[in-house]
Amino acid sequence: MQTKLILSVISTFWFIVVSQAQEISKGNVFIKNAHVITITNGLLEHTDVLVENGIISKIGSGLKEPKGVPVIDASGQFLMPGIIDAHSHLALEVINEASSPITAEVKMEDVIDPFDVGIYRALAGGTTVSHAMHGSANAIGGQNITLKHRYGTRDPDQLIMKEAPRTIKFALGENPIRVHGRGKNLQPRSRMGVEAVIRNGFEEALQYKADWEDWNASDKGKEKQQIPPVYNSRLETLVDILEGEIIIHCHSYRADEIYMLIKVCQEYGIDKIVFSHVNEGFKVAPELAKYTMGASVFADWWAYKFEVYYSTAYNAAILTKNGVVTSINSDSDELIRHLYHEAAKTQRYGGLTDDEALALITINPAKQLGIDKLVGSIEEGKQADLVLFDMHPLSIYAIPQMTWVDGVKYFDREKDASDQRIKVNPEETLEPIFLHTEHHNCMRDVDFYFTGFGRNLFGHSH
Amino acid sequence: MRANNLLSSISFIYLCFLFPALLFGQSDRNGDRRITGTYYISNTTLIPSPGKILTGQQLLFENGIIKALGKNIDIPAEAQEIKGDSLLVYPGFIDVANKTGMVEPTIPEKPDDFDPSEPLPEIAGIHPHFSAVDHYQEKNPHDQEWRKLGFTIAQKLPKGKGMLPGNSALVIYGHESRNNILSDNQSLYFKFSTVGGVYPNTDLGVMAKWRDLLQNARLYETHGEMYSEQSSLRRRESNPVLDALIPVINREIPVLIESSSELDIRRALKMQEENNFDLIITGINEGDALLPILKEKKTSAVLTLDLPDDKFSDPTEGEKGPDFEKRMERTKNAYLKSLSLAGEYEKAGIPFGFTTKHLSRTDFIKNIRLMIANGLSEEGALAALTVNPAEILQISAIAGTLSEGKMANMVLMSDTLFSEEAKVVMVISDGYLFDYSEKAQKIKDGASVWEYEAETEGRKSKGKWKFTKEDNNWSGTVSYDDPQTEGVKTSPIKNAVITEKSLAFTFSVEVGENALEVKVSGEVTGEKFSGNMEIKGYGNYQVKAKKLEKPEIK
Repeated sequence: MQTKLILSVISTFWFIVVSQAQEISKGNVFIKNAHVITITNGLLEHTDVLVENGIISKIGSGLKEPKGVPVIDASGQFLMPGIIDAHSHLALEVINEASSPITAEVKMEDVIDPFDVGIYRALAGGTTVSHAMHGSANAIGGQNITLKHRYGTRDPDQLIMKEAPRTIKFALGENPIRVHGRGKNLQPRSRMGVEAVIRNGFEEALQYKADWEDWNASDKGKEKQQIPPVYNSRLETLVDILEGEIIIHCHSYRADEIYMLIKVCQEYGIDKIVFSHVNEGFKVAPELAKYTMGASVFADWWAYKFEVYYSTAYNAAILTKNGVVTSINSDSDELIRHLYHEAAKTQRYGGLTDDEALALITINPAKQLGIDKLVGSIEEGKQADLVLFDMHPLSIYAIPQMTWVDGVKYFDREKDASDQRIKVNPEETLEPIFLHTEHHNCMRDVDFYFTGFGRNLFGHSH
Repeated sequence: MRANNLLSSISFIYLCFLFPALLFGQSDRNGDRRITGTYYISNTTLIPSPGKILTGQQLLFENGIIKALGKNIDIPAEAQEIKGDSLLVYPGFIDVANKTGMVEPTIPEKPDDFDPSEPLPEIAGIHPHFSAVDHYQEKNPHDQEWRKLGFTIAQKLPKGKGMLPGNSALVIYGHESRNNILSDNQSLYFKFSTVGGVYPNTDLGVMAKWRDLLQNARLYETHGEMYSEQSSLRRRESNPVLDALIPVINREIPVLIESSSELDIRRALKMQEENNFDLIITGINEGDALLPILKEKKTSAVLTLDLPDDKFSDPTEGEKGPDFEKRMERTKNAYLKSLSLAGEYEKAGIPFGFTTKHLSRTDFIKNIRLMIANGLSEEGALAALTVNPAEILQISAIAGTLSEGKMANMVLMSDTLFSEEAKVVMVISDGYLFDYSEKAQKIKDGASVWEYEAETEGRKSKGKWKFTKEDNNWSGTVSYDDPQTEGVKTSPIKNAVITEKSLAFTFSVEVGENALEVKVSGEVTGEKFSGNMEIKGYGNYQVKAKKLEKPEIK
């Protein structure tokens, strides 16, 4: 009997080890009697949510408690979909490959850092999905990756949200101008130059595509009269953008540059574009609504450099009222812990409803990342990324209690230990504390291009 | 029996002391002018491969090859005896991924209109066509020091700041009079690093660049094949970078990827999955979670011998709360985990080698002992120094064990390898003898000062040589009259070799913008030195010196 038991324990353990290597863990949970903020279907009082194998399988009142599934009594508490951050640099070892005005070939999935304790902190703030982006040093930056905060794994691939479509970073304005124009005397040296770099990139991509089509079409089997073209993953990626396979997420501030890129995209038949930061977005709100997948903004942050001198805390509300798919992002490992505060600010500045305000950090960013069919609201059939608050999440007193990703609980305030690191440096008995914490931001890894004057200009973060 | 043994070894040592030459007849021990290449080790204990022990053995080697081993083998008349009683003979150690003796390659200058987004490959640290052989200083002092510890073969990696510094070579730590290159273009060396300031500048760019390079190497090869059949096509422009990658895509040579973290290992595995090449991962220092994957993929693994510093035996004082204690405990566990990594590899059944890259020589045995104390078996440690690296480097036919037909590379120890008392008595490399017994190094540690007088072009010059010894290396200064002013100048002593009977070193004298290279060598009799001073390009001059009784060096 004893041996049998041991054997079964071993085989179960073995199964877990093996399955961890290949499959994403998915959980079951029954959350009872909560105020369920569905986002897409209003607030449901005294409602139960059943999660099976990582998917929300049933929503309703007085559901039968299933056997063998953990039950959470959420009486008096608020359950909402996991918060989604459409612009983040969390859990990345490197942010900028700042060495060329176009680096469309680089992939953030190559540098995911599963050991970043910031992932846990984000979970503690209810954020379950973040869009891990390349920085803003280049007119066309690298390919971003959408992460699910499955903290605890040592395997970077386990954090990837495999179903999410490809996205890429673009950046307009001062950052690419400063890095390449002023820093290295390359194009772009002005806003016009940024446009030219992007257009030239697309033109080259079209030629590249034609070269390969010619090569592929030349007689197969028989003697080819052509030589093979050079492979170029940079242009390959730009071709994919032109063919609508990749969503552009563009760092931008001013209305004129936003409108410029809208026009360029129209010219090249690109309709998958989201603008990030967009501090002057309120000036081009109708255009953003008509031609783009939306705008991802800060709640009330601007004037950290010249091009972002002019903005308003009403930006998100104005955009929303104009029908722009709007989200509020963090662009910061600190802000990502309380995006619900940021969303709440739109009620003070612009009077958005609860659903409108919470959409800014749930279903809207999901739409911008192309994952709104899977996450971003509490609906049957969607992935069970959930967060339970003790009070309404738009209250300044609300504190997240538990956070699930795919039905697996990754954060529980009751079990919140002081040391949540996965990996510990064997040579650091005490982690150093820096007075200047290194913010993950759009311009990290580009310092070395500047000295003196240039570096002072870069005291800002975005 | 025991007393008898002791007695005989005492008298043996006594005899050796009296007659240093007795042990090996007339031939000099280091083979500088040897009269034969045939030796046999008599009545000894052999450890031909990890876990095997054979006592009362003879081992015969000739011209660098092991000819026979066993209890009763035919010993040819010309074979010289190496008395092996009380010694243990192990196969010579093999070092993987090592850079000692390598010099930085010359990189072209950046042009005036330099565009950092499109640098020449060499400027971007992409020079897979550079060969380690071309940048290896065979007679470098470091390798001779590593040989003293038992290493006889090493894989040399080219230096370079970027992702593809070049291809590796295998060398023997053999006799300095020989060409000791065993093979070149042995593997392609890749690391997650960049030159800085040019494309690629981070791991992001490195990964993308690698993908493009391999894809283009394939197209380049296709183009070459097409052109050889069809000369009417546009010719293929020669591209040394892509040429160097073709053996990788055709799996003729492996890629040796250097890792410094668990995530690097993951990246290396991902690269292999994408492009299907033979992979060796070196520098492994963490990541026991990856053992099942590495085992499944049969990846060649090379662990670093450079262990983290021990910060726990002597903890810092200060206010300690429960949080501090807990974090301290975790850090300590992480430290212990890195010590036990080699043992975990052994337990998982993954054969691995060791690399000494970044390792200080004094830590070599100490760190292996730490690994052994933390779960690695002694056989496992020996395997990681012998059979496993031979397998990884595909030289099992000639190295890794003591067996007939293999190279005569061995380490003669005074006691069981890795035991506290064990000392390397002699290393045999490529059939040459290197005697490190204490008898051979009777020079006392510490300082010595010599007063010298030399006659150069009718002029007498005087000065002092001051020698100090650290980590078995001699260094010091030489003082001389400044050729340009009236004063006295000093230069550092380089390449000093000091034995009981000889003294040699070099130094350089700066004269204006030029430097004179001076080589001093000669014989020592008691406290007196008599020899020669060669000023490169000028001539030879006589030099005499006297050892001062009270060295002034502190």
